[in-house]
Amino acid sequence: MRLLTHNMLSSNIKGVTNGFPLRIEVEKVVEKEVDLNMDFLRNMFAKIEWKALVEASRTMGYSELPDDAESSMLDSDEFLRKFHHALLELHLEEGALVCPETGRKFPVNKGIPNMLLHEDEV
Amino acid sequence: MLLVGRRPSFGITSVRACSTAISFTGCHFRGLATMKEEGMDNSVDFSAISREKLPVLPPIVARNGQKCSSSKVQATPEIEKKYVHRVYDAIAPHFSSTRFAKWPKVQTFLNSLPSGSLVLDAGCGNGKYLGLNPNCYFIGCDISAPLINICADKGHEVLVADAVNLPYRSGYGDAAISIAVLHHLSTEIRRKKAVEELIRIVKPGGLVLITVWAREQEDKALVNKWTPLNQKYLEEWIGPGSPRVRSSSSSFSLKSIPETEENVSVEQLKDVGEESAEKNPHEIMCSNSNDGHSPLDSKNKASNLYQQEYFVPWHLPYHRAEVSGASVNAVANGLARKDDKKGAVVYDRYYHVFSEGELERLVSGVDGADIVDRFYDKSNWCIILEKTSS
Repeated sequence: MRLLTHNMLSSNIKGVTNGFPLRIEVEKVVEKEVDLNMDFLRNMFAKIEWKALVEASRTMGYSELPDDAESSMLDSDEFLRKFHHALLELHLEEGALVCPETGRKFPVNKGIPNMLLHEDEV
Repeated sequence: MLLVGRRPSFGITSVRACSTAISFTGCHFRGLATMKEEGMDNSVDFSAISREKLPVLPPIVARNGQKCSSSKVQATPEIEKKYVHRVYDAIAPHFSSTRFAKWPKVQTFLNSLPSGSLVLDAGCGNGKYLGLNPNCYFIGCDISAPLINICADKGHEVLVADAVNLPYRSGYGDAAISIAVLHHLSTEIRRKKAVEELIRIVKPGGLVLITVWAREQEDKALVNKWTPLNQKYLEEWIGPGSPRVRSSSSSFSLKSIPETEENVSVEQLKDVGEESAEKNPHEIMCSNSNDGHSPLDSKNKASNLYQQEYFVPWHLPYHRAEVSGASVNAVANGLARKDDKKGAVVYDRYYHVFSEGELERLVSGVDGADIVDRFYDKSNWCIILEKTSS
């Protein structure tokens, strides 16, 4: 699971008012290189919840992102590379995503989150 | 930290199994297991449905058009558990091996998206369309973990999730696709909820492409190999949400489908095993000719004109079934049957095929999106929506 995905996942358990962001429990992180796509990074920057990305990347062991960011920073190659790296190149291979309100854990195995709810959570 | 290695193209880490269009010459093969007289699995344990603690549809559903609350909409009905989820889980590798031809209409849609778009594929199956436009980024989800594992093995970004209750924040995607998914949802309420979810997860101005199997099939012969689901079955398993429950004649009963093509070769079975999503059997006419004169015949024929609930068989060749292991249990539980003549385990998949105009009506009942295109292609009804507001 990439942090791009994490940034858009929310706990949809019945009764939860704000299920975002999910807390990350790390067991195994893997880095996989991916080509940088400027269009995509610009597009995603507008959508990303920055604070959640920063916190998630730090949980994954990457501390290079600034606490705050604005779109003008995309002109900087260095910033772009860091944003790209955090967004697309860090993978949670094993661990869990935790609902911020209920504490319910959604397992992540082989990089795949399982977000299916149990019958009583629907 | 393990460095796995450089990926050649943006977002796409896999070699696609086959990117050229392969003609499905064999795909018209329909394994013709003998249809049961009753047409359905009578060993269903309805008490499983009536457990009070489960927020599922009531056991024998009220006939008064009782409305389901939204939480019950998201609970998976038994018919989908048995005849969609478990089947795809059991057949996943074989199914995936037959899903490689890219549907041009979907390809066109994806290639029309701006560079850098985030595309969400809800019900992505074996991930056939993930990464199809190398300038876009795809996230796929499916309710079948085995299928998602196949996607992940190809390097796609995927998760296990339910299309009726997507775990995505609202307004994030630039586009969403739902290719041959909604026809596996057994009530109109659930199908509508799935459409609402697709619209919810894209940004204002975002596009949604939905395709579903049509009742009106190009290849009429194929429908003869499906099992129509009968009235009793519909009422007990699907509930008042099904519009066709009311229109079917109460005396309509499932006729056993006459066996044809008894000499289907096992080789065909191994090669294909199933028609592609793009080619679907035509709606069945119970009588073999259109000249039925008796009142019963014409009543049955009239009922069949409205028939939209079907079991569509999937033939899993024995040599494939061994790998899964799930098939042994499936046969023991009555979920599947063995066909020694064809050397395959036969699973039934539940389908609600859409009638002309039905998809349009369904999406029209959902707020927040306009229809920008609608078409019929390769026996599928298709629609493109544009989200108008958050």
